[in-house]
Amino acid sequence: MPENSKQPSDALAIAKTAGVSLNPLDPTSRFNASKLKQFTNTEIVIAFILFVTLVILAVFGTFLQTHDPMQGDLLKRFAKVGEKGYLLGSDHLGRDLWSRAVAGLQWSMACALTANVINLLIGTSLGLMAAEKEGWARTIIRQFTDTLQSFPFLVVAIVVVVIVGHGFVPLVLTLGLGAWVVFMRVVYAEATSIYQRDYVKAARIAGVSRSAIMFGHVLPGVRASLFVIFAFHFAGLLIAESALSFLGIGAPLGVPTWGNMLAESRQYLLKAPWMLMVPAGAIVLAVITMNLVGDGIASLSRKRGRSIDV
Amino acid sequence: MSSVAENAPNSAGAKTTGQDLLTGLIPLLLQLRKLAWLIFAVTTLLFFVLRQAGDPALVLAGNDATPEQLAAIRAQFGLDRPLIIQYFSYMWNVLQFDFGKSLASAEPALGKVLDMVPRTLHLAGMAILLTATIAIPLGSWLGFKPENPERRAVSGFLFVMQGVPGFVTALVLIQVFAVNLRWLPSLGYEWFEPKTWVLPTCSLASFLFPSLTRVVAANVAEAMREDYIRTARANGASQSALLWKHAVPNALLGAAALIGTQFAALLGGSAIIETIFSWPGMGWLLLESVQTLDFPVVQALAFMIAIMVFTVNACTDLVFRFLDPRLRTKGA
Repeated sequence: MPENSKQPSDALAIAKTAGVSLNPLDPTSRFNASKLKQFTNTEIVIAFILFVTLVILAVFGTFLQTHDPMQGDLLKRFAKVGEKGYLLGSDHLGRDLWSRAVAGLQWSMACALTANVINLLIGTSLGLMAAEKEGWARTIIRQFTDTLQSFPFLVVAIVVVVIVGHGFVPLVLTLGLGAWVVFMRVVYAEATSIYQRDYVKAARIAGVSRSAIMFGHVLPGVRASLFVIFAFHFAGLLIAESALSFLGIGAPLGVPTWGNMLAESRQYLLKAPWMLMVPAGAIVLAVITMNLVGDGIASLSRKRGRSIDV
Repeated sequence: MSSVAENAPNSAGAKTTGQDLLTGLIPLLLQLRKLAWLIFAVTTLLFFVLRQAGDPALVLAGNDATPEQLAAIRAQFGLDRPLIIQYFSYMWNVLQFDFGKSLASAEPALGKVLDMVPRTLHLAGMAILLTATIAIPLGSWLGFKPENPERRAVSGFLFVMQGVPGFVTALVLIQVFAVNLRWLPSLGYEWFEPKTWVLPTCSLASFLFPSLTRVVAANVAEAMREDYIRTARANGASQSALLWKHAVPNALLGAAALIGTQFAALLGGSAIIETIFSWPGMGWLLLESVQTLDFPVVQALAFMIAIMVFTVNACTDLVFRFLDPRLRTKGA
């Protein structure tokens, strides 16, 4: 069972600890029958409310900002939370932290969403292609995925982002082209077992075309897991994006992102602790929301009898 | 690499027969092939990517170098040859563990990296130790009995902690313990000063322990429903014997896999924490050398990280085989 020696990516590990088994071939999946944390309806409601709030802030954030996030008033530096008309205080240049946090949300969401969609597309197509039948395609894809997986992604991301340069597009492409392993592994594992099912065999005998089987019969079976992974992976990408920006190699300097705000706050820890707390709180809230959404989707699909445990 | 192949099966072989030893060796050899692939891929990719990023001669000579100086440096380091020739001569050197000299300090690149290895291992080891110390008892307690308000509160707390990135925890810890309370230094590393270890270790562990706790808890809860627990209970085993002798050992199997994964992830993934605390480890060196375009050091680092991650994964695999007799009998 070499599955154990491989590194599951973060999203998969989180999904697993949430009691979701996504990989029927994984020997640890036998443990996941127990759901330590049974999801209740209230938790789904909380997840939903938080998620809707995040989406509204991300879409209409520009109208909800009270100040220009880039424009500071040097006379109103280091305003405490709620002081001088600043909802969450101001930073060392007198810029409004609330508006900057909202701008950061928009940046992070756009970045993580785009990268996640790219990940989803690459991972799913490779997973389906590898699952369909044995042969050189499967060998190459699995070998490639294994290689990519056995190297810490953060190291790759740091090197590539530094070399390619700052900015939205390089950042999204690095995360998008490099972090799809989790999708491929889940799709591959589930699709392989679906291809063994009788209804797929029957469809094949009945002369249904390869692509119709792939997209009409196999993909719908994988869909529930894809939603769950998408949510958890979204949280992981949010963390990765803000980490790279924090290191000063992700978002261009000066752009209001959570990572940049955290990096700026380090100089003023004694004077203005809220400069740290606002972006830190924003990241934590966004990540927890996405984790809750992932848990919620998993438990909803369990309730509908579509067990994610294959 | 070879030390893994020779030593590791022996440690497992103490209690297994020669047959087991042989079947244990085959997957390891297969994995060694994977490692070779990985190193080849990483080295090749980095070689071309880094060459795209900047001219090593320019880095060496500085920005105010005259064209003559540049040409001299190119000739000296063989940078005037076609790229593909440079690539092959580079790969030949890599096969002999020669990554060239650091462009920043003229020390051998691999030596510079090897200096960092103990410090990164030190940090990662402490973080894993702390994680396991918290997660195993806590997870056993969580999973031992059905949910009640306290257990719900703790698992809610774990869920929240899982959403807090390590570098955010690090900054908050610095804010509280270094800036406000002034109990601990906010950065720096001294081998003989345990005070400098506390915050980096806690920051890393804070991100790792929630998932390990939840895995242990889920496994213990699962084990408690198994037949052998019912039998033991019927035989009159005490509650603590049930937990510690029957449920936890089985739960630790699943946990061992995650611990190995987490340790491997820390080897390169602690770069951010190392940078925040100026902990001179491999991750810190990676950021330094990438930003100064110190190509040989970046290459040597990638090489080292690949080998170390591989070693950790191979060891996890072996420990697994050693712990779980089912994997041994099934063979590979």
